[in-house]
Amino acid sequence: MIGQVYIEGDLRVAGVVEGEVEVTGNVEIDDVAKVKASVSGGDVSVRGHLTGPVVARKRLIVARSGALIGDVRAARLVIQDGATFSGKISMGGSFEAPAPAKPAETPPVALPEPEPEPQPMAVMPEVAAVKPASEPKPQAAVPAPAPVKPTPAAAAPMAAARADGGKVIGKAGGKAKAAPPPKGKPKRR
Amino acid sequence: MDTQEAVAESTPVETDGQTESKRDGLKRITLGPNDSLEGKLTYGGHMTVEGGGRAEGEFRVGGNIEIGNGTVVKALLEGSNVTIKGELEGRLTARDKLYLGKSAKLSGDVQARRLQIEDGASLNGYVRMGDFEHQAGS
Repeated sequence: MIGQVYIEGDLRVAGVVEGEVEVTGNVEIDDVAKVKASVSGGDVSVRGHLTGPVVARKRLIVARSGALIGDVRAARLVIQDGATFSGKISMGGSFEAPAPAKPAETPPVALPEPEPEPQPMAVMPEVAAVKPASEPKPQAAVPAPAPVKPTPAAAAPMAAARADGGKVIGKAGGKAKAAPPPKGKPKRR
Repeated sequence: MDTQEAVAESTPVETDGQTESKRDGLKRITLGPNDSLEGKLTYGGHMTVEGGGRAEGEFRVGGNIEIGNGTVVKALLEGSNVTIKGELEGRLTARDKLYLGKSAKLSGDVQARRLQIEDGASLNGYVRMGDFEHQAGS
């Protein structure tokens, strides 16, 4: 998916995501995931590929299968042997303040048109806003007019944004998750 | 202020329980509590600073570097495998692996082929990974 995701709860990404991801809970980026986005969360664990700045209010873990390219701010940091990392690391103090503030402002921004359906997919009452195509990539044109499916089988355009009661569900099928049907998503790298 | 326990190859230093020198036949310098080293050092063996030993300057060693717990080193370091359990201020290059133990504090830019950081360690600086052929990089 391409766009912004703001979630109160946890998020697990198992597909391709580009844009911006803000989560009040934890973020997990699976082995198969390819994320090109700024990411902020409490505990952030990276087992796949992540390119972009990261703020982990609690702990950032880059597992041995993970690759993270981007500047990082984290209260605690763990990098396992085998992981790839490149960027600036800032640890200790000071980032607590900005992090919480930011999420607050994000929601107000209205979502373009994407969320008409009351579907379970969008489910999270709290998933504040999922905006496809807002501003990230130029190519992010039409989000998916397609209704979001609760079914894993169907490619949910914004599957990534799925969160259940604070708990997140990434998408099951690795790629199923982030496949926006309409757009040939440019699978970056 | 000085210390050198440079040991000839076949005589591994056992003081810290390490036996690396036994394995690879490299010499070793160990700076302990009463030792201090200041300046520029280029050395073919391993270097260990532990127990509060003091080291400041620029150290480039062919072997491994270890900075023990409770030890503060201010230096530009270059070594093969670099293990930090104490504190280091300064730039660091690990031709092979850099390991930061849970009590490690490192502030400075880092270049390493492999990197492992334990929970509890703190690191502030730029990190670049990859093979050394390209170390000049950006």
